[in-house]
Amino acid sequence: MHLAELAVKEASRKGATEAEAYVEKAKRIQVEFSGDIESFKTVESLGMNLRVTLGRKSAMYATSISDENEVETAAAKAINIAKVAPEDPDWKHMNKRFGKASAEGYYDKTLETLDYAEIVDALTSAANRMESYDARVKPTRGFFVTSISKASVANNYNESAQRRETHIVIWMRTKAEEAGMKSTGTEHQEARFWKEIAFEDLAVKAAEKATKFLRTKPIPSEKMPVILRNQVFANVLGVMLSGPLNADWVQKGRSPLSDKLGIQIASEKIDLIDDGIRRKGWHTKPFDDEGFPTQRTQVIVKGILRNYLYDSYTALKDNVESTGNAQRPYYWLAPQPAPNNLILKPGRTSPQDLIGETKRGIYVEDTIGEWLSNPVSGNLNATVTHGYLVENGGLTDPIKGVVISGNFYEILRDGVAVIGDDLRNSSQNYAPTVGLSQLTVVGK
Amino acid sequence: MKEQELRKILDKAAGLGASYADVRYQCHDSETITVENRTLKSYSSRRLSGFGFRVTTERATGYASTSNSDLESLENTLRNAMKAAKSFRSQRKPFTKTEVNKTEIKLSTKTDPVAVSPEEKVSVALDANKAAWVGDEIKSTITRLALSSDSRLFMSTEGAKVRVKTALVGLAHESVAKANGAMEKVGYSESMCAGFEFIKSKDWNSFAADLSRLAVEAAHSRTPAPGTYPAVIHPEVFGVVLHEAFGHASEGDLVFTGESVLHNRVGDRLASEAVTIIDEGSVKGGYFCPFDDEGTKKGRTVIVKDGLLKGYLHDRNSASEFSVESTGNGRAQDFENVPIVRQTNIYLQPRHHKFEELIEDIDSGIYVMGRGWTGGQVEPGMGTFTFGVGPSKVIRKGELAETVRGVVISGSILDTLKTVDAVGNDLKIVTSAFGACGKGGQRASVGLGGPHVRVREMTVGGR
Repeated sequence: MHLAELAVKEASRKGATEAEAYVEKAKRIQVEFSGDIESFKTVESLGMNLRVTLGRKSAMYATSISDENEVETAAAKAINIAKVAPEDPDWKHMNKRFGKASAEGYYDKTLETLDYAEIVDALTSAANRMESYDARVKPTRGFFVTSISKASVANNYNESAQRRETHIVIWMRTKAEEAGMKSTGTEHQEARFWKEIAFEDLAVKAAEKATKFLRTKPIPSEKMPVILRNQVFANVLGVMLSGPLNADWVQKGRSPLSDKLGIQIASEKIDLIDDGIRRKGWHTKPFDDEGFPTQRTQVIVKGILRNYLYDSYTALKDNVESTGNAQRPYYWLAPQPAPNNLILKPGRTSPQDLIGETKRGIYVEDTIGEWLSNPVSGNLNATVTHGYLVENGGLTDPIKGVVISGNFYEILRDGVAVIGDDLRNSSQNYAPTVGLSQLTVVGK
Repeated sequence: MKEQELRKILDKAAGLGASYADVRYQCHDSETITVENRTLKSYSSRRLSGFGFRVTTERATGYASTSNSDLESLENTLRNAMKAAKSFRSQRKPFTKTEVNKTEIKLSTKTDPVAVSPEEKVSVALDANKAAWVGDEIKSTITRLALSSDSRLFMSTEGAKVRVKTALVGLAHESVAKANGAMEKVGYSESMCAGFEFIKSKDWNSFAADLSRLAVEAAHSRTPAPGTYPAVIHPEVFGVVLHEAFGHASEGDLVFTGESVLHNRVGDRLASEAVTIIDEGSVKGGYFCPFDDEGTKKGRTVIVKDGLLKGYLHDRNSASEFSVESTGNGRAQDFENVPIVRQTNIYLQPRHHKFEELIEDIDSGIYVMGRGWTGGQVEPGMGTFTFGVGPSKVIRKGELAETVRGVVISGSILDTLKTVDAVGNDLKIVTSAFGACGKGGQRASVGLGGPHVRVREMTVGGR
C-alpha cells in the first residue's frame, strides 16, 4: 500500500468522517549560472498533505516525511485540529469522481537519465553565446531547474490516482555596458521537455536586447496605443483573471465577475479557454490535485463570460460539476481553484503587421510589477523596463522606466484593437501579442 | 538525529574528496489559520524537516538535500553533493576564512505559538474577522493568523556548531469594500519575532475594523493624477523600497557577477548626505537573525554612510571574491537550499525631522502611506523599481488633504536616493510572518524600515 492510501486508512481508523491524502515525491536539480556555473544542487523531497473531516468540520496537516511513522502523527494532528474547527455549513463531501483525462506531453522520460554534464554543457554554451554576441555583453545571472515529480491522491471513497510530471525552467539575464551606460536583457522559458529548451535562442535574444537598450530616450506622458508582447500580455491575463475566475472568489463576493455569467464582459474578439489537457502545456495533467479529471473549459466565448473555474468544494456549493481546477501550488497548501492553462485565442495578425499598422504608440517588450495590478478594481499598472516607441509603422527609440496604466475591464470591453497570431506562454498563461487602442503612459 | 551521527557522516566528506563540508539540519513548524467572511476557511499546519549537505572540492561547490533521516539516505545525500561538485569547474575562489563559532542561541519567548490550543488561535482570527464587518459596503474579509517556530543546526568540517531557534507570529487582514460601483481592497499585517504573547498583547478587532474603514474610504476616493511629485514616504514603504531596490543591489553575489547597479561603486556618492543605510542581524521589530546559515555572526553592517557607499553584504563565497570578511549574510530559505547573500534587517538611520516638518514645505505632493501596500519589483541591473501602495493622501499647501487610492510609485533607486532631502526621527522596523523576500527562487524572512522620508521627486501612477 502506498503512503497516500496508508494515511487515509490511518485517519479513518482514528475516526475521521472523510480523509484525503496528497503525497508528492520530487527530485529537482537547480543550477545557477552567470558567465560560469555558480552552484549546482539536487533536492529529494517527500511530502504529504492530509485533509480530514469530522462531520462538517475540516482540517489539514502537511508534513515532510522522514519516515513512515509520521503518517500516524499526521493523522492524529489533523483530527485534533478538526475537533476544534467550527462547522462549515457549506461542507458536503470530498471529491467522489476520480479519473484521468487523455492529456499528453507532461512527462519527459529523458530527464530520468539526463547527465549532469549535459546540463553544465548546455548552460555554459548559452553563457558563452551571450558573451560572444557582443563585446559589451556579460551574462550576469541565470537559473535552470528540472523537476521530476510523482503525485498520488487518495481518499476514503476508495479512490486513488497517480501521475508523474516533469517541468523545466530557464531564466537568464545579461548586462551590456558601454561608456558608463548600462542596460539589461532577460529571457525565460518554461517547458515540459528537455529538447524544447531553446538555450541558444534565449541567449542571443537576451544579449541582443541588452545591447539595444544602452541608449534609451525619455518620452513625455500621454495617452497612446500600446502593443504588449505575447509573454507580457500572458502575465497580465494571469494577474487580472486568475483570481476573479476562481469560483471561491465569486462565491465570497471578492470577484468583479460575480453575477456576470452569460453577460458580455469583453469585446467579441475575445475567446478565452482554460485548457487542462493542452499538449505539453505548463499545467497540463490528467487529473487535478483532488483526483478529478482535467478538461478544456470555455471561459469567455465571443466576449461573453461562460464559466468560472471550480474545485470540488466550490462546485458542490454551486451545485455544478467541478471543472478540474483544484490546485496546490505546493503540497503543503490546501487545494484552491486556479487556472490550468489559461489561453487567449490568437488572431491572424503577425506582430510585425500589428506594429506596421500603428502610427504612433509604444511596443512593450518587458515589464516589471504588472502583478501589483489590482484584479478586484481592474486597475492595471506596469513599469516598462524594455519598450520601443512606434512611429509610422516601425520601431524607433528604445524606452525604459515608463509606467503604463489603464482599467483592465475597460480594455477587455473596448480597448483591444488587434490580437496577434503568435501564441506563447509565461508559465501557465498563454497569449499572443496584443494591440491596445489606448493606455495612459507615464513618462518624464 | 544525534549530533554525533551527523558529525560522523560529515567526517566522511574528506575521504570522498571534499576540502570542506557542512551540514544543516532544520525543523520548521508552521500554522496558518484562515478565516473568510466570518467562517473558518482553513487551518493548516505543517512540519518541514530535513538535511542539506554542502561540499567544496578544488573545483567547485555542490549541494544536495533530503527529507529522509535514515543514515543510508544521509550518506547518499553527501555523495550526491559530491557528484554535483564534480560536475563542473567553478571560477570562484575558495570560501573566505571566518571565525569558527560554537554556540546555541534562542529567541526569548514566553509562550510557544505552535503549542497554544487550536481553539484559542481560531478564536483570535474569527473574532477579528467578525469585527471587520463595519457596514454594508464591506463585501468580503479575510483574516489570517500565522505562527511558526524554526530551529536550525549548522555544523562544518572546520568544527563550527551553531544552533539558532526562533519564532515568528502575526495577523493579516484584508477587507474588500464596494462603493458607487468601485471595488477596492486593503490588506495589511503586523508580525513579530515572538511567542504567542505578541498575539495576546494586541487588539486585533480594532486592527481589522480600521482596515475595513480604510477600504471603504478608498473605494470612495479617486486615483491620483499620474505624474511626478514631491513625496513623503511612510517608514514601512521606504523600507520596502530600500530593501528591494537598494538592498538587493548591495548583495555581494549580485555585485561580483556584475548584475548589480552598485558594481564598482564603493566610495562613490550614491545618495544625499541625509542617507545612512544599515543591515543588522538583531533589531527591535525586525527578524531575529543573530547567525547566518554558514555559522557566521551577523552584526551591524553600514552599507551607506552619509550618502557614500561603504561596502557590500557578503557570504563566505562573495567575501572571498572581494577579499574581505563575510558580513554574516549567507542565508538559505531552508535545508533544501544553498545559502546565498541575503539581507537581514535593512533600514535607513533616522535623523531629526518631525513628521510635520517633512510636509510643511510641500505645495503639491503626496504622502505615501503604509497600510495596504501590495509589494514591488525591481530590475536590479538598472535600479528601476515599481511598488504598489495603499490608500495615501494628497499634500496641498503643506497640509494633508484628500485620500487617493490605487497609488503606484516608480523610479530609479539611485536617482531617488539622491533626492532624499529630509529624514524623520521616527524609526520603525517591521518583519512579516506572511510575506518574505524572494531571490533566486528562495524565500527568506527579513526585516526592514526606517523613519518617514521626504523625496523631492517620485513618479506616481494611478492603478
